[in-house]
Amino acid sequence: MAPDRRTFLKGLGVLGAAALVPGCATSTSSSGSGGGAATGELALQSNLSAEQAKAAMEKLVEAYNKTGGGTVKLNTVASEIFRTQLPTYLTSANPPDLYTWYAGSVANSYAEKDLLLDVTSVWDTMGNYPKSMQTLSTSAAGQKIFVPTSYYWWGMFYRKSNFAKWGVTPPKTWAEFLAVCQKIQAQGIPPIGIGLGDTPWVASAWFDYLNIRINGAPFHRDLLAGKGDFTDPKVKAVFTRWREVLPYFDPKGKSFPFQEATSALLGGKTGMFLIGTFFADSAPKDALDDIDFFQFPIIDPNVPVAEEAPTDGYFASKKAKDPEAVKKFLTYLATPAAQELYVQNSSGTAIPANPDGKAADTPLVAKGKAMVNSAAELTQFFNRDSSDALQPTADAALTKFLDKPDQIDQILKDWQAAATKVFKA
Amino acid sequence: MTATAVEVKTRRRSAKRRSLGVSPLILVFVFVPFAVEAVWVFWPALQGFWLSLTNWDGLSAPTFVGLGNFREMVSDPIFRTALKNTAIWLVLFGGLSVAGGFGMALLLQKERRGVGIYRAALFTPVVFSLVVTALIWRVFYQPDGLVDSVLRGIGLGDLIRPWLADPDTALYAVIVPALWRQIGYVMVLYLAGLKAVDPALYEAARVDGASAWQRTRYVTIPQLKGVNSVVLSVIVIDSLRSFDIVWSMTKGGPYHSSELLSTYMYSTAFQSTQLGYASAIAVVIFLLALAVILGYLIRAFREET
Repeated sequence: MAPDRRTFLKGLGVLGAAALVPGCATSTSSSGSGGGAATGELALQSNLSAEQAKAAMEKLVEAYNKTGGGTVKLNTVASEIFRTQLPTYLTSANPPDLYTWYAGSVANSYAEKDLLLDVTSVWDTMGNYPKSMQTLSTSAAGQKIFVPTSYYWWGMFYRKSNFAKWGVTPPKTWAEFLAVCQKIQAQGIPPIGIGLGDTPWVASAWFDYLNIRINGAPFHRDLLAGKGDFTDPKVKAVFTRWREVLPYFDPKGKSFPFQEATSALLGGKTGMFLIGTFFADSAPKDALDDIDFFQFPIIDPNVPVAEEAPTDGYFASKKAKDPEAVKKFLTYLATPAAQELYVQNSSGTAIPANPDGKAADTPLVAKGKAMVNSAAELTQFFNRDSSDALQPTADAALTKFLDKPDQIDQILKDWQAAATKVFKA
Repeated sequence: MTATAVEVKTRRRSAKRRSLGVSPLILVFVFVPFAVEAVWVFWPALQGFWLSLTNWDGLSAPTFVGLGNFREMVSDPIFRTALKNTAIWLVLFGGLSVAGGFGMALLLQKERRGVGIYRAALFTPVVFSLVVTALIWRVFYQPDGLVDSVLRGIGLGDLIRPWLADPDTALYAVIVPALWRQIGYVMVLYLAGLKAVDPALYEAARVDGASAWQRTRYVTIPQLKGVNSVVLSVIVIDSLRSFDIVWSMTKGGPYHSSELLSTYMYSTAFQSTQLGYASAIAVVIFLLALAVILGYLIRAFREET
């Protein structure tokens, strides 16, 4: 599922081990029940269960506890369990105080149910955060409900050495992109890698990007919020474009998850891969220096450029026993020092949300940060802009489209029907 | 309390006990588990029935919609696919594992040198958790995996396809490992049954000049009646509750083509958070299981008497 994409794979080998993930996600479930005892200790429920991320979180909490500002108890829960249990946590009588979570629509849906703590006073200390982060962290009712701490970006990743070998350069426009695809295919290599077995949500990245390039981010957000219709001709236009590149997709990509698509890319078996930076967590270090990315090609120059930059952070329960202590900890988390501490100890591809926080010092991260900063609009990702409940409808529709593109009218009709059901529930 | 009152009370209690004929210890052994069951099984089950009449996202209060969820099911193409797949599963998985298990038991019933190895080998898959089984088989099915290389090796390379990602093959590709496991289990049940058949019956049949086939048809099979009822109930229950192997191999995909009722219920509940609709599917599964099992039990009892 989409929410755990970040924490999905750290510490796992690229190849066969990738297949173990779903099993692990459920079997390593540390008991995630209940909130902290009322001992003045804050309970922090974290879904960052991958090895590196978990260690980074432990360091972060340890550092805060040393400052003497309060004590926080970290409770790490496997991400899949966390996702399904989150509503239960929040609605229970004695909920954990703080939670790792995602910004945007997924946080707002809980705010609408009046389950989240108003953290406006924390934002008073966060004057240097960009406007986009503010908007992202504000509920529909106008309250600040979220403290963003890091983000990452999506792009078309490739190996520099392979591009040099095949004699292609990163394209900027759709036409150039098509030309690159043709050139790579002429060498007998599937140009576009994808991994849909077990991780069908990866296909949503293509839908997101084509939609924001063709119809723009506002249309995309409205559509995902249930204010549009998937049978809209504007949505069909997305698939018409997509069809132009379908012949260039790796046919084997249907069968394996994105982790294996990653190894296919690194092994030179595919040319490019539209994916988030988290994929690099499982790449061998020597291959990392050879990895680069380019921005998803521009299709309509009149549409303001938007990029996908999913933002992670924290929110707190409305029923937190000591709201002041919670806000104090959140204020700490919003500082550059805390975010650098986390980024340094985790995989290093995440970028601190605080503009003064230093990201990992690699050219790749610098390039990613520059791309996100220059974007006119930011989107999160399909499930974060809509909801986890809508994601399975996209998975079914998009994998079916990749398999049977000529049935697109029926697919869109079914998708709309499934989406209506989700919005109605 | 006066002495007489106590006396009366004890007498009354002992009278009651005598009339029921049950010791309080037994009552404790019955009612304590019943109370536990009531809280952890019966009450949630009843709640499930109630939830199936509502729309509920797990957060806000459920809204009552009457039979709306069931009406929706009738026009839900995914539900129909899941229902159809469950029927296919029942017939193929159930039928083939009975046939296969019985065949293997007949083949391996005679004590011969090395037969233990074969029995153990066939039983080994039962030992693994189905999730592990799924992992192993996924490696077999992956592109250029074992299945593909075997097909290529015997010159059937044209048949190669993305086994688990092709909507035409996904369901059957999942049934194979499920069978691989179940056959060993059914075989052990039948082996035990075959051991219980009196050898004198075969002796008599042989003396009467019955062929091997006739001995199987007229001696073995009727003698296995008791085992059959066990196997059939196990198979029906196992088919209807099949979930783990499908979920860990395809998650019901690609695009719902290998969806069973159980996987559809799970994804509706915990992925789409339509808990009311998911409860309605659970009710359907419950009714189906009840119908199949009751139907079978009634027939079995009728034959007994």
